[in-house]
Amino acid sequence: MDEQALIHDAQTGNLDAFNTLILHYQDSVYNTALRILGDEDQAADATQEAFISAFKSISSFRGGSFKAWLMRTVTNACYDELRRQKRRPTTPLEPDTDDGEEMDSPRWLADPGMTPDQKAEADELEHALQHCLNNLPLEFKSVVVMADIQGMDYSEVAIAVRVPLGTIKSRLARARLRLRECLQGFSELLPASFRLEEGSNA
Amino acid sequence: MNQRDLELLSSYLDGQLKPSDSARLESRLASDVGLRAVLDDLRAARGLLRQLPMRKAPRNFTLTPKMVGKNPPLPRSYPAFRFVTALASLMLFFTLGLNFVAPQLAQTPAFGMGGGGAPEVFSASEAPAVPEFAATEAAATEEPSILMMPAPTETVPPAQDSARELETPSDKQGVDNSADVPAETSAQPVPEPPVPPVWQIVLAAIALLGAICMVLMRQAAASRWRK
Repeated sequence: MDEQALIHDAQTGNLDAFNTLILHYQDSVYNTALRILGDEDQAADATQEAFISAFKSISSFRGGSFKAWLMRTVTNACYDELRRQKRRPTTPLEPDTDDGEEMDSPRWLADPGMTPDQKAEADELEHALQHCLNNLPLEFKSVVVMADIQGMDYSEVAIAVRVPLGTIKSRLARARLRLRECLQGFSELLPASFRLEEGSNA
Repeated sequence: MNQRDLELLSSYLDGQLKPSDSARLESRLASDVGLRAVLDDLRAARGLLRQLPMRKAPRNFTLTPKMVGKNPPLPRSYPAFRFVTALASLMLFFTLGLNFVAPQLAQTPAFGMGGGGAPEVFSASEAPAVPEFAATEAAATEEPSILMMPAPTETVPPAQDSARELETPSDKQGVDNSADVPAETSAQPVPEPPVPPVWQIVLAAIALLGAICMVLMRQAAASRWRK
């Protein structure tokens, strides 16, 4: 895929070229939205909004990392979605079990190669991680999602969230510290290699 | 653990420290167990996040022209039709305006400069008014109905004759006034419009046909787009 040529064509209004870029990046963009919002439907909506917004403003893209530019768009779409949620809070329609606990969504049962026990453990771990991510302030969450989940480097994250590199370092360190503290509450779920030391002095 | 050390450890984990800073931190880590424990925790937290499975997008997020408010591509000849239609419409309105205003412009100077038919009537009837009254008064002593009768040729005294000479044009004018004004008005030829109406019909037809063609082109493009 010649990304630069596709971007150039998309900037002249070629929707097919932009759709090729979408197919290449849609998983990354969707996962970023999913980890920031913690809800599949909202993440899908935010992803769609982000791509529409990206196409409309693609003429403002002046080179550099296209992924970082897209991530900025999806981050803004997520912020808008969260603002909408604050204005109109909704109750999730996930079914409850007999004990009154929320039933696991099928998204937690994604890997077909796992045994039922492994699936259950993976689901619980993912649930715990998402729970800890949800408890992070938004500005920390977007940075840690892009750096640690999407594997973007610091400069790309800085472009995506439009803050200086030093701020990215600071936010990432604090986000990881908070995550560590949060995950200590789920230590029984963590694999042995990732067990966190209880009571380490942070 | 202060904020500075936390940032150093986090950056060290990602290989973002300068070699000199990295060496200094490593020497501290070798001697500080607490610092090393925090580094291990940060590494574990980062490792867990990196283990989060990448979800496949639940559907394709490709865009349709409708989603981005894009119009269907129109034929190359469309701008030419648009230009011709707009030009014909403009010219039509211009000629309509011109044909409406031109006759009024043609009449306005006759009124203003006093050279037209109507002002002439007024000035002619007013100017001899004084001699007329003088003659009338003079004649009134002998025969009050003189104004109504045809002028006698033998019995009129010289003084009266001269008065009558003065009187006659004014009298004629007075009598003719009522008959002449409508005669002059009706005699005025209807001014020709600057632009013949046939041109306006042609322009209107061009504008109308152009508009119809544009609508048809748009509909055809939209139907092709939907396919």
